Formats: sequence, structure tokens, C-alpha cells
Amino acid sequence: MIGFIILAVLALGFALAVVVAKHPVHSALALVGHVVVLAVFYLLLKAEFLAAAQVIVYAGAIMILFLFVVTLLTAGKEDQDARESLPAQRGIAAFLAILGGALLAGTAVRVAGTPAAGRAPTGYGGLLDMGRLLWGPDFPYLALVALMLLTAALGVIVLNRPEPAGAPVKEGR
Amino acid sequence: MPTPWIVGLAGAVFAVGAAGVMVRRNPLIMFMSAEMMWNAAALAFVAYAHQFHQMTGQVMAFVIVATAAAEVGIGLALIVWIYHRRPRLDVDEISEMKG
Repeated sequence: MIGFIILAVLALGFALAVVVAKHPVHSALALVGHVVVLAVFYLLLKAEFLAAAQVIVYAGAIMILFLFVVTLLTAGKEDQDARESLPAQRGIAAFLAILGGALLAGTAVRVAGTPAAGRAPTGYGGLLDMGRLLWGPDFPYLALVALMLLTAALGVIVLNRPEPAGAPVKEGR
Repeated sequence: MPTPWIVGLAGAVFAVGAAGVMVRRNPLIMFMSAEMMWNAAALAFVAYAHQFHQMTGQVMAFVIVATAAAEVGIGLALIVWIYHRRPRLDVDEISEMKG
């Protein structure tokens, strides 16, 4: 239980750091910490494959992509906020988010459900069992994921195609 | 570790992410907050998968991780695309999407 409390405090602290950080670089670094803490949770919940995938895909690929874009777009600039066009929007939004989170967390803690009896089967959460599921009964998910990644790659290519020759390029405002 | 507490933590992280999406106006930080919301959902899936000894929940978490990867590719491409046209990172400046 003490381990859970330490991990939970770490996860929530990193999550809050992502939201309140002044500069996106600090947000990205805090998100790396958050993702690693979640990977520890996955290990404790016997999801070894997912823990490895989480660290490789999230902390590796996704966060490096984020850091690239952050350094590309905000190098040497401070993130100062312009005037607020919707007054009081932030306060209301934060209040509603905290209210919703408290409801979610409270419901989860109160409605426990009955755990499955006995110990988890051997190999549960490992690479072999995960592969057997993904290439067996759950193959549609794998196929859809492949299709989705292909679509995303196509989308990125379409977004980054060069402007047609002769079209006026609008720079800034 | 009791499952309800882990799912409660997932709910709290989800709320923090939602607050980040709504309160911050830097699109990069909003995007990272959205990633945290994905992560919270994946944690809940894994926790319940552990509680019921069903690996289907872990498959769902796998789908979430893959979706996040695809989403980050598209989203960051969009952010860079917008930034080339309006060199300030503020979502309120691009509120009009009239082309």
C-alpha cells in the first residue's frame, strides 16, 4: 500500500507538472516521468509487454517527436498569454474538470467489483500470450491498428506536401 | 495493490489531463494533456484486466498506445502546419476555421 501511495503521488505530481509548466519543454519532460511511472504500474499489474511497449513507444518515440517539435517551434521564445477572450472560462473549466475527476475516482473506489479467484494464469501479460491473442481471436484489433497507423502516415504526407507552384504563400499575418 | 485505488488514480489523472486541455492555450501542452487522458484510460483497462485475469483489457491498452502514436504524428504535423502560417502558439488565434 505504501508503494502504491508513493507511485500515485509521483504519477499525479508529474501530471500536474505537465499542466502547470510554463514552457512546453518542461511539460514534455514531466510527461516522460509520468509515462515511466505508469510503466511501473503496468509491471506491477503483470502487463510486462505493455510496460515495455509503453516505455519504447511513449517515452521513446512519441516524446522525442514532441521534443523535436517543441525545439523547432519555441526555441528561445517565452510563452506569454494574450488577452483572455472568454473571461472566467479557465476557472470554470478547472472546477468542472476537478469535479468530474472526483466523481470518476469516487465511483471507481466505491464500486469495487469482485476480483477473479485464484492467481493469474502463467504467462499472463507476457509477450507470448499477447502475441497469441493479437494474432488469434483479437486479430481485428491488430488489423485496425495497422490500418490506422497507415492512415496517419498518409495524412502526415498529405499535410506536408509542397504548395502547388504559383500559389501565393501566406506568411504569418 | 487494490484495483479500485488504481482506477481511482486513473480517474484523477484523467481529470488533470482534462483540466490541462481546457485551461492551457498552448497547443503543444494541450496535446500532452490529451496524451495523459489516453494514458489514464489505458491504466484503467490494465487494472481491470488484472482484476479479472482477462487479457482483453491489455489488448485494449495496446490499441490505445498505438492510437496515441498515430494521433501524435497527425497532431504535430497539424501544429507545425498551422505554425508556418501563424507564428504564435495560441489556440485562440486559430478559432476561425473558415479557410
